[in-house]
Amino acid sequence: MNKILVTLLGLILFYGISNAQEEDFKQVQDITKAQTELAKLSENTQSIQSKFIQEKHLSFLTENIISKGEFYFKSPNQLRWEYSEPFEYIIVFNDKNIYIKDEDKISTFDTESNKMFAEINNMMIGSIQGDLFTDSERFDVKYFENTNQYLLELNPKLPEMKSMLKTIKIYIDKSNISVAKIKMIESSDDYTSIDFINRKLNQTIDNERFNLK
Amino acid sequence: MNSEYRIQNNIILKTIRNSKFVILNLIFFILILACSCTTTYKNLTKEELSNSEIKNIPYALPLSEKTLIYKTDINFYKNDISGLLIIKKMDESIYRIALTTQFGLKIFDFELDHGILNVKYCVEYLNKKIIINTFQNDFNLLLMQFEVKTIYEIDNSIENQKIWQFASGKINYNYIQNTDSEKIEIINLKKRNSEKISVGLHRYKGNIPENITLEHRNIKLKMNLKLIQ
Repeated sequence: MNKILVTLLGLILFYGISNAQEEDFKQVQDITKAQTELAKLSENTQSIQSKFIQEKHLSFLTENIISKGEFYFKSPNQLRWEYSEPFEYIIVFNDKNIYIKDEDKISTFDTESNKMFAEINNMMIGSIQGDLFTDSERFDVKYFENTNQYLLELNPKLPEMKSMLKTIKIYIDKSNISVAKIKMIESSDDYTSIDFINRKLNQTIDNERFNLK
Repeated sequence: MNSEYRIQNNIILKTIRNSKFVILNLIFFILILACSCTTTYKNLTKEELSNSEIKNIPYALPLSEKTLIYKTDINFYKNDISGLLIIKKMDESIYRIALTTQFGLKIFDFELDHGILNVKYCVEYLNKKIIINTFQNDFNLLLMQFEVKTIYEIDNSIENQKIWQFASGKINYNYIQNTDSEKIEIINLKKRNSEKISVGLHRYKGNIPENITLEHRNIKLKMNLKLIQ
């Protein structure tokens, strides 16, 4: 009986905590102040090296699909996603070039010919550097905050983007103004969330990281 | 005048004879072709099964209660699509089949309900009737969901094969077991005995194939699946 009670209490507590992460965000009152703070984002993140955990939620699955890996970014336009789980896969965006390494096979594309990749690339760099939420032509932006984080809710305005995503949520740590999490919500409410863990900001990353041979 | 007429007549006769020869040749060729096509499994012992015996076919992929996730590459004309293919059995003869990119964004999300493919979501460039019908055929073949008229069990012991053949009008669906490995290693769809889709299933992990390749013969479409969960 006690065991059941403890489990139940634990469950309630866990549910409470996991829910609170979303729930205790309140609309930002002083948007100008928040915007001034957030303007530091680009300066604070000239480069990032971080681990990431990606969770894919599909309504018909009981468990999310988890992918993991290393993430590298160097301003203005170099990005490397190195997946180690569930299988090894590397995708590098370097200016207008896209390199993919999949099972020892390297393919090269350019962003002109692959619009979907180009859009993802713009979205990621734009989220990390903050250009995305000042882009009022493409997004409606709502500002939320709690004690530790800002949460920016971006709703796409353009039809082609809208058909892909309903909302992009960007979580930014107040302590060092850097992106901690990105959540991309599709119109069906299925989502992909990416958590950036152990972020190392503004450290030197060798250019070779953004080249695949 | 007369000779001219004869010559002309001769030419006409020759032409008729020639065309007769061509027609005969053509008939002969068609006959050979027809014979060579129908010889497949023709001389083998063929036993008709009842519908209730479908469950005895040693093909577990459609029955898996576990969510199956395959790393997937699709080559479709000039498009290369890669990501994760998720297959989940929801109920008897109801499946959800979704493809997401590496970054998680969905490419398509289908429900296969008693052989009918319903689109829950599909990126615009693939959301065409002809493509959706193709996917419907492919997943019906892979998950054995088509409408069945007659089922035969065919013993092809020379090739170490046992074949379960589903016949439906001009179309045959064949599930071919390698009698040594006791696994279904080849599936194909034949229309008037010419192969339209062929599937290879390899490296079984328990009852589930780790590698699946599906290829169309008359259109440029190839799928390569590798099990990750």
